Amino acid sequence: MIAGGTDLLPSMKQGLFAPRVLIDLKGLRELDFIRFDARRGLEIGALTTISALANSQVVAREFPVLHEAAKTVASPLLRNMGTLGGNLCLDTRCLYYNQSEFWRGSLGGCIKKDGAVCHVAPGSDTCWAAFSGDTAPALLALEATVELAGPRGRREIPLAELYVNDGLVRLTKAADEMVTAVRVPAANAGWLGTYRKLRIRQSIDYPLAGVAVVMRKRADGSCAQARIGLTAVNPMPRLVTASDRLAGQAYSAALVEDVAREAIRVGKPLKTSASTMEYRRQMIQVFVRRALTDLWRSAN
Amino acid sequence: MGQPVLDESPIGARVPMVDSAGKVTGKGIYADDMTLPGTLTGKILHSPHAHARILSIDTSAAESLPGVKAVVTGRETPVKYGILPVGHDETIFATDKVRYVGDNVAGVAAESAEIAEEALRLIKVEYEVLPAWFDPEKSMLAESNLIHEEKPHNIEKDYHHHFGDVEKGFEAADYIREDRFFCPEVTHAALEPHSTLAQYDSEADAITVWSSTQVPYYLKLNLASTLQMPEEKVRVIKPLVGGGFGGKSEVIPLELAAAVLARMARQPVKITYSREEVFYAHRGRPGQIVALKTGMTREGRLTAVEARIIQDGGAYCSYGVVTILYSGQLLNAMYEIPNVKFDGYRVLTNKPACGAMRGHGTVNTRFAFEQQLNRMASVLGIDPMEIRRRNLLKPPCMTVNSLRVLSYGLPECIDEVEERSGWREKHGKLPYGKGIGIAGSHYVSGAANAIIRSGAPHTTVNLSIDSDGIVTIFTGASEIGQGSDTLQVQVVAAELGIGLDRVKIVAADTARTPIDLGSYSSRVTFMAGNAAIAAARDAKNKILTAAAAKMATTPENLLIEGNQVTCRDDRRLSMRFADAVRLAIVDGAETLEATGSYRPPPEATGGKFKGGGVGPSPAYSYCAQTAEVTVDPETGQVTVDRLIAAHDCGKAINPICVEGQVIGSVWMGLGQAVQEEMMWRNGRLMNPGLLEYRSASTLESPPIDAIIVESNDPEGPFGAKEAGEGSLAATIPAVTHAIYDAVGVWIDTLPITPEKVLKAIDEKRKSEIWKSEARSQN
Ligand SMILES: Cc1cc2nc3c(=O)[nH]c(=O)nc-3n(C[C@H](O)[C@H](O)[C@H](O)COP(=O)(O)OP(=O)(O)OC[C@H]3O[C@@H](n4cnc5c(N)ncnc54)[C@H](O)[C@@H]3O)c2cc1C
Repeated sequence: MIAGGTDLLPSMKQGLFAPRVLIDLKGLRELDFIRFDARRGLEIGALTTISALANSQVVAREFPVLHEAAKTVASPLLRNMGTLGGNLCLDTRCLYYNQSEFWRGSLGGCIKKDGAVCHVAPGSDTCWAAFSGDTAPALLALEATVELAGPRGRREIPLAELYVNDGLVRLTKAADEMVTAVRVPAANAGWLGTYRKLRIRQSIDYPLAGVAVVMRKRADGSCAQARIGLTAVNPMPRLVTASDRLAGQAYSAALVEDVAREAIRVGKPLKTSASTMEYRRQMIQVFVRRALTDLWRSAN
Repeated sequence: MGQPVLDESPIGARVPMVDSAGKVTGKGIYADDMTLPGTLTGKILHSPHAHARILSIDTSAAESLPGVKAVVTGRETPVKYGILPVGHDETIFATDKVRYVGDNVAGVAAESAEIAEEALRLIKVEYEVLPAWFDPEKSMLAESNLIHEEKPHNIEKDYHHHFGDVEKGFEAADYIREDRFFCPEVTHAALEPHSTLAQYDSEADAITVWSSTQVPYYLKLNLASTLQMPEEKVRVIKPLVGGGFGGKSEVIPLELAAAVLARMARQPVKITYSREEVFYAHRGRPGQIVALKTGMTREGRLTAVEARIIQDGGAYCSYGVVTILYSGQLLNAMYEIPNVKFDGYRVLTNKPACGAMRGHGTVNTRFAFEQQLNRMASVLGIDPMEIRRRNLLKPPCMTVNSLRVLSYGLPECIDEVEERSGWREKHGKLPYGKGIGIAGSHYVSGAANAIIRSGAPHTTVNLSIDSDGIVTIFTGASEIGQGSDTLQVQVVAAELGIGLDRVKIVAADTARTPIDLGSYSSRVTFMAGNAAIAAARDAKNKILTAAAAKMATTPENLLIEGNQVTCRDDRRLSMRFADAVRLAIVDGAETLEATGSYRPPPEATGGKFKGGGVGPSPAYSYCAQTAEVTVDPETGQVTVDRLIAAHDCGKAINPICVEGQVIGSVWMGLGQAVQEEMMWRNGRLMNPGLLEYRSASTLESPPIDAIIVESNDPEGPFGAKEAGEGSLAATIPAVTHAIYDAVGVWIDTLPITPEKVLKAIDEKRKSEIWKSEARSQN
């Protein structure tokens, strides 16, 4: 299946995939929509472009975390082509995997492609290539669900259940299933949210680490509830459950630090990218701290 | 497209580049845009091993694949070549060994890219893998498994220079500092990947090559030698080039491979590198270790400098011998340094060959020197602008290593950036996390000695003027985006007193244009510019002599202005330029021919010591630069907010081109400063693409102010010197200096990643806590 092709085509050029048939999804205009209803929540078609998502006023107003995350994806041209479905189903990335056929061949391949060894974790029988999409952590924090359609009909699963923490398997969806839509419950509309992304260049670059944080506050400024999603530091996007500790609490720098420290236990980056794992973990801590602090201390 | 007719001299005019229209509309023709009937696609098989002996190659399956027209290996290409006469260590395809991952093993020409790729897969190569050398400091100690048998310890070349007496110099110093700097390898990343189209004429046994090259003349020589053909049977044509920056300033394997394949297949062959192959062809800036020791008096006067430099040159010589010499020789000609010692080692490793890259040889040493100077200034409590002023040269002068400096705009450059940046209000006074820094740099306006030594001119320009007064310039100089063509048009129009629209140019076609050594070492403005002036003067002489006879006056009493030949003492007497040309055309000819050439004066060619020939230039450009940064102390993220570069180009013949070159140089320096790096693991390049090799995106590109300083060089064409490289080096130490001003840490290892900055800040904090604890205990 090919949607925008911005992930798939570069990979095909590198010989990572050689499908005999590609099904182009772009013609499915009915899957290109963004709908919001105060009772039913948000629904986004899988063929919606990342640009449309980033430019949507209702998304910016009701789900700022998703708006911010979408704005950081790749570059303006890639956002015009790339779709939400493709972004969620993005292949995992690793310096030893995203290389040309010649390059990989010179090393005898890797566990994810044409080889037996994992070059970042020798001895490992799973693949540590990092899931590097930007919208998934935001949608995880918003408790999104995805609708899958296939020969056996439609089903809806929590987004968290779409992923497997192994670069070899990646997704739970069957090969003959496609993502048709993403839904965010109405209860999560209007939450404060922000997305922080570690990258060397402020455009084009995939995340080296990404932190999505949402928070609902009470009238007295205390935190009613908060959720934190991480990306690019594991083979799948993950939630930081330690954010539960914030529920019902008044702002406290110590508590923020506590949760930020917990966050780096969830993120386990290996040397899959140019930055070191130490630095990527350190930045998760800084970003969680900054994001929580900003949201908690912001005016509304 | 016609050029505007100017009322005033075109020198100093902001005229658009003569070849810009096609580039903007997309109609411009680059090598890869061209095909001839029957053109085949060429592809190259690269080595998967960093160091291995080739035991056997079986090409039979590839040869019998339908659609394959030629397969070639090192057996058919035994002739060694290289850009330097002392460095002929490459063959088109490996003959005995491969020396880096990506080395060239075999070539294929086929009817399509897919068939060619399939054919490569069918070539069976048996290798015996050898231990490989990746770390230059270890490679220098090698006793066995040498990369080239004839180079003991894998040392391509070492130089040991001593000028003055550094022992005495350090004795006279009040403050001596030693630091070690490391600059990893970087590459040009020109937008256009290398591309070559070759056509073989079997009747004439002649070859024509269209190639993305900065050096058509050297390419012609190397094609002749490696194909074993007479030089006159080889023609090289340079179409538009999409950026070179040094990466196309020598013969690149695909150029020879395309020609060999075309001759074998007897059909045109085109090879265009993939981006990954561009990284393997490389010839970029070598990784460099600089151990630098500087002594100065309390007042900040330099007394001695000692540098030990190791360059990680990769597997072949390329420009290496020149690069290592530049890195030492050009410690000089910037400031007054009475005593200088230099030990330089160009070391071979099993990685792609490094070569010339913008700022060739000078950049990493300049970073080290300027950084150390700023450090010493801060310890001594001397303003960094002031410390530079205290060490200025006093031209005209000869440096301790025999570099002749005539024009020297560095003092004005310093004044300009100090003023424009608000230095006095900012330096040392900005809040924590904000900083400003300064550094300087310089560069040659062409090498005074040609690569292949001879008494021949470095460049010749011919003019052909037809009876309508239209001037055609024939020049071998290579336009690679820097403005070579435009400059020569401007210079000729100015010298002849005619409009730019009366001047056309034919360039860089070895069958039609005279010899020019190429676009490297920033030589074109100075050398081709001077040759163009000489040619125009020759023409003018002939025209005025003919006109004078007709107008019954002397040539001296005539001038050309606004397409008219006019009497100086009686302005009413004049004739059209075209009419005067007609008078000057000799009987039987259709055009008036004129010629001019340039060779550097002997006084500018340097000292007689070993290696003394590299570094000397007829003139040097100068630059001073300030950088302003914001540093996030929690993430280490550095944002460069503004760069101001004042560049002494002698005279800006075309200010648009000068500003473009300065901005481009600064931007390239910025890339090397903050994010570019070739990352290696076991001889394998981890980032052979533009996604992971991170040149700045527009979002990391701050406003860059280019200020032109004109020192009017006495020998430059209309006073001009180089503008394309000299501003690059200063950017790096200016940024690191600004980071020091912002958060108090010095970064000595490039690039300045957030990670390194953060670590340095943490270490500084820890050592301060430790110091304050130690203090409170006392
Ligand atoms: C230079 C560069 C930089 C990039 N930087 C970023 C970045 O910073 N952040 C980021 O998140 N992404 C980045 N990307 C990746 C990509 O551009 C985006 O993630 C984009 O949203 C992918 O969508 P697409 O429609 O183009 O996917 P495609 O390439 O069409 O598909 C990607 C994968 O998803 C599958 N797929 C697509 N649609 C569906 C569907 N509806 N159901 C099931 N499977 C589907 C495809 O089969 C394929 O396996 C970058 C890409 C490039 C080339």
